[in-house]
Amino acid sequence: MSEVVVEDLTKKFGGNTVLDHVSLKISAKEYFVLLGPSGSGKTTLLRLIAGLEEITSGSIFIGDRKVNGMSPKERNVAMVFQNYALYPHMNVFDNIALPLRVRGMTKDATARKVKEVAETLHIHSLLEKKPKQISGGEQQRVALARALVRDPTVFLLDEPLSNLDAKLRVEARAFLKKLQKEVGITTIFVTHDQAEATTMATRIAVLNRGNITQVDDPYMLYSRPNDVFTAGFVGSPSMNLVRGVARRSGEGWEFHNDDLDLKLGGTAFDREREVTLGVRPEQLTVSKGGGGLAGVVSNVELLGSVSYVTVNVGKTSFTVQLTGRPELEIGDRAMVGLRPETVLFFDESSGERIEGSAT
Amino acid sequence: MRLSKTLRVGLVLALPIIVYFLIFFIYPIALLFDEAFTTAGGVLTLANFQRMLNDPVLQTSLQNTFFYFIGSLGLEFFVGFGVAVLLYNYVGRLKALFRTLIFIPLMVSPVVIGLVWVLLLNNQYGPIDYFLRVLGLPSMNFLGSLSLALPSIIVANGWEYSPFVFLIIYAGLITVPQQLYEAAAVDGMSRFQAFRYVTFPSIRGVMLVAFLLDAIGVLKGFDLIYVITSGGPGYSTYLLSFYAYKEAFVYFQTNYAAALSLLFLAIIAAFVTMVLKFTPVEEYLGIRRAKQ
Amino acid sequence: MKRPSVLASIVFILLALVSLFYLFPLYWTLVTSFKFDDQIFTYPPVFLPSSIDFANFFQSSAVAHATSQTAIGSIPWMIDSTVVAITATLVSTFLIAAPAAYSLVRFLRNVWLGRLILFMTMIPEVVFMVPFFTLDAQLNLLNSWWGLALVYLSLTAPFATWLMMGFFNDVPKTVEEAAEIDGLSPYQIFYRISLRLVTPGLVAAVLLSFIFCWNELLYALILTYSPYPTGAETVPLFITSFLITDKSFAWGGLAAAGIFIMLPTIIMGIFAQKYLARGLTLGAVKG
Repeated sequence: MSEVVVEDLTKKFGGNTVLDHVSLKISAKEYFVLLGPSGSGKTTLLRLIAGLEEITSGSIFIGDRKVNGMSPKERNVAMVFQNYALYPHMNVFDNIALPLRVRGMTKDATARKVKEVAETLHIHSLLEKKPKQISGGEQQRVALARALVRDPTVFLLDEPLSNLDAKLRVEARAFLKKLQKEVGITTIFVTHDQAEATTMATRIAVLNRGNITQVDDPYMLYSRPNDVFTAGFVGSPSMNLVRGVARRSGEGWEFHNDDLDLKLGGTAFDREREVTLGVRPEQLTVSKGGGGLAGVVSNVELLGSVSYVTVNVGKTSFTVQLTGRPELEIGDRAMVGLRPETVLFFDESSGERIEGSAT
Repeated sequence: MRLSKTLRVGLVLALPIIVYFLIFFIYPIALLFDEAFTTAGGVLTLANFQRMLNDPVLQTSLQNTFFYFIGSLGLEFFVGFGVAVLLYNYVGRLKALFRTLIFIPLMVSPVVIGLVWVLLLNNQYGPIDYFLRVLGLPSMNFLGSLSLALPSIIVANGWEYSPFVFLIIYAGLITVPQQLYEAAAVDGMSRFQAFRYVTFPSIRGVMLVAFLLDAIGVLKGFDLIYVITSGGPGYSTYLLSFYAYKEAFVYFQTNYAAALSLLFLAIIAAFVTMVLKFTPVEEYLGIRRAKQ
Repeated sequence: MKRPSVLASIVFILLALVSLFYLFPLYWTLVTSFKFDDQIFTYPPVFLPSSIDFANFFQSSAVAHATSQTAIGSIPWMIDSTVVAITATLVSTFLIAAPAAYSLVRFLRNVWLGRLILFMTMIPEVVFMVPFFTLDAQLNLLNSWWGLALVYLSLTAPFATWLMMGFFNDVPKTVEEAAEIDGLSPYQIFYRISLRLVTPGLVAAVLLSFIFCWNELLYALILTYSPYPTGAETVPLFITSFLITDKSFAWGGLAAAGIFIMLPTIIMGIFAQKYLARGLTLGAVKG
């Protein structure tokens, strides 16, 4: 059980900088998620921690040890790959036993440990079978077993749920979370699926093109995103992001673009500037009449208990969340209501959230 | 000297082949150069190469080799490709049987084949001659004729190696996804158009490989000549390979033979370079370095 | 019950004709092996022999010709061929080609090395016949099993390496990385994981190499001069010895010997057709 510290880590492939001076502190026993779109560097970061790639500059510490240059074996990490990477020519028992055999464990001790882990993961009935004879979900558990059988210090997972169908994925999420808590091992999990991240993680690091934009627990990430990218990436459907200008209006401030003017009650800015306004679908309302921003319904999506209605206010569109069935149809006129205190503002050029702008 | 781990492991694994390379490639080439540039007495000279310039037997050999090359490749491709297309379009229970049968000639020793063809082509007792006469055509002395000997060898060679071309092309044909043909059908293409626009582009890489491998095989041609005609009649079936052999081990002119060997090597190198330049063969050969 | 179309019938007929074309020489060999001179040197040629007589195969004194010219006389040569072919094949495939191919695909990734291997497979035998003779003479290995087997490495190793490169390239890197994380050294990964995942390639390499060594003529011709037990003459030389020694050609015995000699490779080929087809096409077919 160890903590993992990444210090000012940079990784370049040829002239291409994939990770740019990244730093992280992951506590022991945490379920830590690296979240980001493809190409963000999250898998590279994981592989650097594993020891599968070489560091260009910076350091990695596992526990108290600096592990730069150490082979994966010396780091005592375990990894589960996206395609599980089971040994096709060996049966499940041998797959799980291999790491132990390589370390010189006796046959009996190995057999005992393998059976133990297999029971924990409910695969003890599959020990004689070959990987191609078992289902995707079962293969994944074999991969987990192989990783855990060695009592590693850190547990690394590279998008292990991507190959499962939707229903299995939900089951696997709960399973992994429970497993991690029971075993109590420091876990680093890579995914591009923000729902996966927010449901499983104790803390999440969001990566965008080689940089960490924010490290926080899921709730903070959701309600207090640091920048435009994170705001748009976390949460589904994504936050409504509207570009415009914050300017004075009489004694207060207003947000203005070609399609709308929004009076901001208690909000204040240090100066007039171009901003992006962000507001989540569930913080908006939409109705046929009443006050708010006038627009036309362009899309209605029914999801069962909630629905999403998209309204075009001029060229600006807002997606609004409703419970139950909406009474609106495409083409209807509608009013979008929002409360200024729920709105976030991001600086247009830097993308960062403007502090104090939401009360 | 600290080598990176990658390099170290790579070299250790490659050690056997490096040793092999030094002993069976570098050293022999050195020997060749040594032999080619000296006389029998050990004196350094260019005489061997000068001799090559005025050697009528060499000229004939080169001409024959060229003719043999074109003829063999043409025949093998024509038959191999045709049979592959035929079998691909054949739908029936005997498919596997045909495939096995067509495969067999490849396994047979060229030496045996050579002698069998001598029998077949015999103009007194051979069955081929018999067929000709039955059809009313004149009896022909295949192996004794200056003009027919080399073509006969080409046919014999074609018999043995056209299945090679067939195998490669056939394997290429069966990997073309059915969906492409279905899309073509929906687009209203006739069978010939489908062949031209779907099949042909898909198997271009395979055809290239077949061509390259077959070309090399043909250039090596020695066994059949030795067994069937021994270069005759006259010099009409002398190939460069056979000529070099005779010079070295029948007339013991090892110096000249070494020079001829170097010439042969140069021709191969030129041929391969030309082919590689005009086509990205490596990508097709499973060494996908282009994807990095 | 669908009536077969005209086109389908034509295809079938053509295929049947092609098969006949490929089979006929083999058939003729078989038929000749059952004949004696009286049925061979006649016109019109005999297509169906009157009786099936195995004399040319087994009898020690077949009609008017010496023992050495019957099929069974070829056994000393077959012993040589078997030993040489197996040795050369195993050494070149497992000792040389497999590790080299793996190294080139995972460690020493260099376009020029790959091209070099390719070039080496394309060198005709004749080019090195003089140096190899010298080499064997220097090592005192003329007319010996090792002498021939070592030289055959030059014919089999480059091709086998090239072949295996394609197969090793198809092994998923993640499986090897999982092994690395599990604690295996690169050599262990090669031997316990990667090598086990390329069996079709190994089979193809072994079979193709064996067939090649079995049928090879030139090097056997120049490097050996007597059969087992004194020397290492291989099977093709048994056949060619018919040519030189006896101008009156014991055709019946020759045909019988031919059949005898062809059998191992044909049987091998039929059983391993799947592997061979894949091996010959290498990675040429983009799967």
